[in-house]
Amino acid sequence: MEFRETLLTSLRTLSSHKMRSLLTMLGIVIGAGALVAVMSLIAGLNQSVAAQFQSIGTDIISVSRYPWVQMGDSDEFRRRKNITIADAEAVGRLPSVGLMAPNIHTRRNISYGGETVRFTLVTGSTPEYETIDNYLVENGRFITRIDVERHRASAVLGSEIAEELFPVRDPIGRKVKVGGKQFTVIGVMKEKGDILGESLDALVIIPISTFEKAFGSRRSVVIDCSPEEGVSMSRTIEEIRQILRIRRKVPRGDPDNFAINTQSDLLSSYNQITGVLYMAMVGIVGLALLVGGIGVMNVMLVSVAERTREIGVRKAIGARRADVTKQFLVEAIILTGLGGAIGILGGAALALLVRKVTPLPAAVTPTAVAIAAAFALIAGVLFGVYPATRAGRLNPMEALRYE
Amino acid sequence: MLIELDGLFKTYEVGTQKVPALKNITIDVKETEYLAIMGPSGSGKSTLMNIIGCLDIPTEGSYRLKGREVGTLDDDELAEIRSAEIGFVFQTFNLLPRMTAFQNVELPLIYGRASRKGRSDRVWETIDAVGLKERAHHRPSELSGGQRQRVAIARALINRPSIILADEPTGNLDSTTGEEIMQIFRQLNNAGNTIILVTHEQYIAEHARRIVKLLDGEVASDTTA
Ligand SMILES: Nc1ncnc2c1ncn2[C@@H]1O[C@H](COP(=O)(O)OP(=O)(O)OP(=O)(O)O)[C@@H](O)[C@H]1O
Ligand SMILES: [Mg+2]
Repeated sequence: MEFRETLLTSLRTLSSHKMRSLLTMLGIVIGAGALVAVMSLIAGLNQSVAAQFQSIGTDIISVSRYPWVQMGDSDEFRRRKNITIADAEAVGRLPSVGLMAPNIHTRRNISYGGETVRFTLVTGSTPEYETIDNYLVENGRFITRIDVERHRASAVLGSEIAEELFPVRDPIGRKVKVGGKQFTVIGVMKEKGDILGESLDALVIIPISTFEKAFGSRRSVVIDCSPEEGVSMSRTIEEIRQILRIRRKVPRGDPDNFAINTQSDLLSSYNQITGVLYMAMVGIVGLALLVGGIGVMNVMLVSVAERTREIGVRKAIGARRADVTKQFLVEAIILTGLGGAIGILGGAALALLVRKVTPLPAAVTPTAVAIAAAFALIAGVLFGVYPATRAGRLNPMEALRYE
Repeated sequence: MLIELDGLFKTYEVGTQKVPALKNITIDVKETEYLAIMGPSGSGKSTLMNIIGCLDIPTEGSYRLKGREVGTLDDDELAEIRSAEIGFVFQTFNLLPRMTAFQNVELPLIYGRASRKGRSDRVWETIDAVGLKERAHHRPSELSGGQRQRVAIARALINRPSIILADEPTGNLDSTTGEEIMQIFRQLNNAGNTIILVTHEQYIAEHARRIVKLLDGEVASDTTA
């Protein structure tokens, strides 16, 4: 029998039981829909996180006492020595290191007039911090070498702080209080946006020398640097590791007692986490489609029983086993295929709706659609084969006698 | 010889019980014959028709159709024979309810792998032959019993089979309509078709040239007018 006829016959049968067909498809619709929706959400999240990481500054190597992503023994972490400015300067002198900016951090209240922003990130650093960490100044200037050398009380405001304290006035030249000490605003930075939900614009940057005088010098320093032009990331990292192991007297064979963080490390550990989530989701949805498929099989078996006489008639007028089997198999595949299509559309719509009404940046990917479609079709074949084979094997004479 | 039945037995097994439906049937049917099978209910008429129509195979004995032994064929070979050699007409019409008359008549052509070209012409021609051109695009539920049986006859004829098998084709029709259907069979036989017909009614059987009577699964008489 030609495929066209098989298809038409199947469509005719399905459309004569519209309600039943719809209910049968429901499991597949929900499974495929959930798959597309969740995969789209994760994909969107991944894309935006990747974009966010770009804004930290590319090629940045950040040496700190603890790794960015902490897993494992925190007791050992707590016993680690501080990284000092001298360590930072030693790193800065390495031939493989290009720019280097030591930076230290605290949280203080910042106020101007009657306005106070509580518990704000205060960073002490050097002029190189602007380039390495990608803090572009929009208005005024960044801190300079002279600011650092002379321990000047100069402050560069993040855009969010500037907006809070100076909603109308130009902040440049005004005196703000940082942790109770007076600072002069010399610049305001360009907006950087969020990373993983945390604002990058709620901070104040001051000269590192002034920072130590005002807030103490017993903090561990973070060393941000970039490789010298033409030197590979991995070679630079290796040289930094060697010099710090020597300076911090790490015995040969012991693990590092400091962490060298890179953007790609962070991205890969993030991807690892979402990857696990992704697989778990695919598993759960696979299960949902399995249940949906069993529903399809159940209805197909009922349909075969109901149409026993029809099968008998078809065989009496010349249908072969394969003709009958094909017809029921196509019916099952249409059911799951259509269910899959509806589910994919619904899931995509859901993802786009989430993008519209929430900050989650859902992105419908071809992969998600392909996986959902494949799952649905495979479910159709898998769960259609048994009822269809059974229909094909019916004895024509007994089928005709069936009441 | 078209049909050669030789020492044919058919025994059904219901649980552990054996029900002999046909016992030692030996009949030959020549081409262009018009044969009626009669007998009381349960005498094995339908069983015999089903075996001749290759819907089932005998338990014992031989059935040769156009010289070919049928008892040893597999499912698909039997389907092949049904498609090419047999046209069935049933008491309860057995049309497919979701298809129009036209589509019902076309179906055996599709299963017989007739090419699409000329298929439609052939369907029209056959539907015209049973006088149903105006009703071609109606579904069975929109047709009278007599019209349904005409569609069924057209469907049986469409592949130009060697034998037309009709199991009580007038059983569900009033006598006038039944007579009209019998006229169609007469014309078909006059045109050279072989017809085997099962009936309870003597006046229907008299349309045939030869009458075989069954009793308890055995041939009780075989008379040619
Ligand atoms: N599939 C089957 N399983 C068991 N017994 C069967 C089967 N088909 C037919 N029989 C038995 O075989 C015998 C002959 O049945 P068959 O249907 O051939 O009779 P019939 O002559 O056509 O009767 P009727 O005039 O009522 O149609 C009956 O006793 C019936 O019960
Ligand atoms: Mg009968």
